[in-house]
Amino acid sequence: MNFLRRLVIVTYLCVAVMPLAWLVITSFKLKEDTISSTAKFLPALSKETAGEPGGSGVLFPASVDGYRRLTRAHEGQVHSFFHYLGNSLIIGLLSTLAAVALGTSCAYGFSRFEIAGAKDWLFFILSTRFLPPLAVVVPVLMMYRQFELENTHLGLILLYTSFNLSLSVWLMKGFIDDIPRTYEEAALVDGYSRLHAFWKIIVPHAATGMAVTAVFCLIAALNEYGFAVALNHSKAKTVPVYFAGLQGTISGVPWPQVAAGALLFVVPIAVFTILVRKHLLRGVTFGTIKQ
Amino acid sequence: MTHQRTGLLKYGFVGPALVLLIALNIFPLFYNIVLSFTNAQMEGGGVGSVGGANYATVFSTPKFVTSIRTTAIFLGAAVSIELVIGFCLALALRRRFLGKSALLTVLLIPMMLSPAVMGLFWHQILNGHYGVLNQVLGVVGLGQPQWLTDPALKLISILIIDIWMWTPFMMLISLAGLNSIPQYIYEAAEIDRAGRWRIFRRITLPMSAPLLVLAALLRTTDALKQFDLVMAVTGPNDVATQTLSALLYRTVFRGGKVGLGSAYACVVLVVVIALASVFTRYIDFIQRKQGKVRL
Repeated sequence: MNFLRRLVIVTYLCVAVMPLAWLVITSFKLKEDTISSTAKFLPALSKETAGEPGGSGVLFPASVDGYRRLTRAHEGQVHSFFHYLGNSLIIGLLSTLAAVALGTSCAYGFSRFEIAGAKDWLFFILSTRFLPPLAVVVPVLMMYRQFELENTHLGLILLYTSFNLSLSVWLMKGFIDDIPRTYEEAALVDGYSRLHAFWKIIVPHAATGMAVTAVFCLIAALNEYGFAVALNHSKAKTVPVYFAGLQGTISGVPWPQVAAGALLFVVPIAVFTILVRKHLLRGVTFGTIKQ
Repeated sequence: MTHQRTGLLKYGFVGPALVLLIALNIFPLFYNIVLSFTNAQMEGGGVGSVGGANYATVFSTPKFVTSIRTTAIFLGAAVSIELVIGFCLALALRRRFLGKSALLTVLLIPMMLSPAVMGLFWHQILNGHYGVLNQVLGVVGLGQPQWLTDPALKLISILIIDIWMWTPFMMLISLAGLNSIPQYIYEAAEIDRAGRWRIFRRITLPMSAPLLVLAALLRTTDALKQFDLVMAVTGPNDVATQTLSALLYRTVFRGGKVGLGSAYACVVLVVVIALASVFTRYIDFIQRKQGKVRL
């Protein structure tokens, strides 16, 4: 039984990690090695053992060419990868900031006050998660055209904030509910106003929660594709839109660059995942399940 | 006087978030309904009412039925396979062991990555000629399936990537479900000399069922939205993988037919809203069961 268990775990670990390992390896190859008919697994230790790029054999010469080419625009594209990365970061960070700020105050309101129809409001907020982006984006696009928000950073920031609100409110409500009311009550007795109590007491205690919520919102915003491809298709493009658009490139996809760019994009997200590992269950179920 | 101040203040906390939500989440849904009765186009031009013509088109297009079928097949396969594998993994990972936390974290990384970005990279792996998967299969002697060009295999390719990404999710929730079973029940069963299989069938499975159902519901609603992988792996025009969202994208952004697209969207939304109310009711049920009174 123990052997079976270990076998299952090890097998799945290999399956889970292999594409990521391949990502790392591919990013250090030359293009010919990524499309050769024998897959190259190991970096060669010296130039001699490497042989011809694209030839047979499982060794390949390691090179940072893929990374270097990221700074230039790939043929047929207007900007270099880093331009799109910048877009993603601006949109992601600003929408996360707004989502956490609005979400925390909204969660505080629902947690501490009697609000008519609170339960309905909260479930309505939760249900926005189920909306397929494509089903919502069409009217939003029409609306954005009226306000000239199509293809802008601000347009996507507003939309991401709104969609991350459901995540943010539910997560923060869970965190704020865990803060004993007695803290604020003591402050109120001492003459603090509600707002002051919120600022001085709740916010510091909820700081970890806000950080965790911020990480999940940021990851969601960075990874998002549906809205981005519909609204920001020619300017202010984000990384996922850029990558998905490379599919079907005429001269073949530049795999080393794609791998390098994907790695640069994915590594911070993996780091963030490790940072919030204790809250992963809460985060991916929108705070509805706590462990 | 204090009562009045509290009355206004609470809306100050809650208001801004709700206003944004209504403006960008709710209002568009209604606007969708309005648009679906018009012949709005992407490239401007006149907007006139066409009555129910769009809906008539929706229900009589074979493409729509095909996309429903594709989405349903994908959904059914993805959720069931992910649930089974995820649950088995959770069963294997129940015990404490050295490095469990680190192992879990590594296993959970795939589900946090962008499907669009990883979808493109999986091209490298799945490509029929130079993809590493086929190379490995060739060495073992298992033939060279053309994952990305064979119409019969394209949906399976997307399924493979989706399973890779989301099985950890099912594993995580299954673990939570398994951990919620109190230890004393197992001890009582052992005292009664219940067999291993019996314990599994009568205790483990039923008691972890609520969270498993939750996981399945969550994944189902997510799979319904499936769009990123389709776009990154095959593009929206490929009939073999045209899910509902892909069909919508094609109608609106390649065909320019906003009115018709809105009609599609409204039909999809009816299903989504039905699922969402099932889900929220279920969450409510679970939370009350767990004894945590949230509201």
